[in-house]
Amino acid sequence: MSSNAIALPGQDLGGEPSNTVGAGTHIYGDHLFASIAGPVHTTTPNPPSKTPSIVSITRPTAALLLPEVGTTVLGRVTRTNARQANFAILALGSTGDVVLAEPLPAIIRQQDIRLTEIDKVTVAGSFRVGDVVRAVVISLGDERAYFASTARDELGVVMAVSEGGNRMVPISWREFEEVGGRGRKRRGRSLRLFECARVKAIQQC
Amino acid sequence: MQSDRRRLNPPPGGTAPPVFATVPDAKPQRPTRTRKPDEHRKLFLRTGIVPSASGSAYYEIPPQQQQQTGLLVPQRSSLKITCTVHGPRPLPRNAAFSPNLLLSAHVKFAPFATHNRRGYVRDASERDLGAHLETALRGVVIGERFPKSGCEVVLTILDGEEDGWGAGGTEVKGGGWGIMTVLAGCITAASAALVDAGIDCVDLISGGVAAVKYAGRHGGQEDGVVVLDPAPSEHDGEIMAACVVGYLQSRDEVTEMWMKGDAGTQVQTLIDEAVKAASLVRAVLAEAVKDGVQAKVGEAEDEAAMAGSAKEGKGKRRCSGIYEAGHLDDLLVRTPF
Repeated sequence: MSSNAIALPGQDLGGEPSNTVGAGTHIYGDHLFASIAGPVHTTTPNPPSKTPSIVSITRPTAALLLPEVGTTVLGRVTRTNARQANFAILALGSTGDVVLAEPLPAIIRQQDIRLTEIDKVTVAGSFRVGDVVRAVVISLGDERAYFASTARDELGVVMAVSEGGNRMVPISWREFEEVGGRGRKRRGRSLRLFECARVKAIQQC
Repeated sequence: MQSDRRRLNPPPGGTAPPVFATVPDAKPQRPTRTRKPDEHRKLFLRTGIVPSASGSAYYEIPPQQQQQTGLLVPQRSSLKITCTVHGPRPLPRNAAFSPNLLLSAHVKFAPFATHNRRGYVRDASERDLGAHLETALRGVVIGERFPKSGCEVVLTILDGEEDGWGAGGTEVKGGGWGIMTVLAGCITAASAALVDAGIDCVDLISGGVAAVKYAGRHGGQEDGVVVLDPAPSEHDGEIMAACVVGYLQSRDEVTEMWMKGDAGTQVQTLIDEAVKAASLVRAVLAEAVKDGVQAKVGEAEDEAAMAGSAKEGKGKRRCSGIYEAGHLDDLLVRTPF
């Protein structure tokens, strides 16, 4: 059992000047109140006197319910055209910790695929329908889709399947190679750092 | 009522329940209120009963009297409500952008819930209940933390409070007071389910109901005494007015109030008593929500412990590529697109 006390919505968590609002809390008057039911965490910063401590409440099941700006997400590409790639966000977190009940639509624009030489990148050459990508949400976007970007070292295509149905493995930061088939290479924006991604979440979708 | 073309419908005039002959020496006893005027009936509330929903709750007021032997018609009424919350989930494709959570509440009586069978399609009283519930919940949910999303609160009433008292099979007719107790139960159940779903709320909202009961005539005027948590079957024909409130205890705020009937001079007392009823209900609500959260925290910790021990084994091998783990073969073959 957790040693942190469990707070219920509407419970008083402390006075405003000495505590600041963290996740799962809100301010009413000059006091902090809980917004969700869960264990309370107080993080006191290192010089204790000047900056106030942050009081937050974690949800017992998932840290987030919806992606926010700056959240790393995992998703599968559903559609590409000359200017953008549409993908469906399936899980939040860089290893897919939180699987969403319903996929959220998102867009990666051509200029957000890479950090360098962005005018030379082609969407068709970077993504193919069915690729699993890791991206970071950069904006809530409009009513139709979130906006995401893969312009970082650890972002990009995580898993891919070749036309023959064989698994493809990354062989450089921009190429995947088919395993077992005729060794045909396909360019794709892949991970620069090879990591073991926990992709059990994607299997369920 | 509009015809429901998707089902094989019963006769449009409704069906009458079976009338059983009573055993000669068994007289149906009229249920009376045995508890004090400011005492609430015992409640049962539990969260997390529907695993596939984001949050859920089950609310029940068990029957107060024992079933009389010798009579087949149930003499006692109880209230059973189940609530599921689905969300936050993305809005439909053609919906406009909304910076706040779009909350929608639906209430439906199951066809077998009341003495007179209800239809499968929502009728006006159910839509009215849904509107009152939405008003109550709108004051509690912090909508701006969930942009571009919608949340659906669905309540099903499995056993509704009888409006009057059916003495051994006669037609149950009443003043329509049962729906007030049902609304109070719906508010409490919806609050528990919302907290179970992890949706940010300002406070726990609880529903309380009180009624003005006819006490006698005094100088030409009808006297009323205010009672908490009226069970309409116990007060058949005596209720003059009733009031339901949705109450936030830590802020001392009322988000929803529905009053029916003529309370005369006792309007303020009626509202105060309803607020008192809501405070009593909140104690049960807080305990049920806390139990639910503690169960979830315990489960999450167990899972983390199991995953931690599994991860340690893999970490020993230096991960040199995604293609190393054998299970990924199955994933890539099976993933359909």
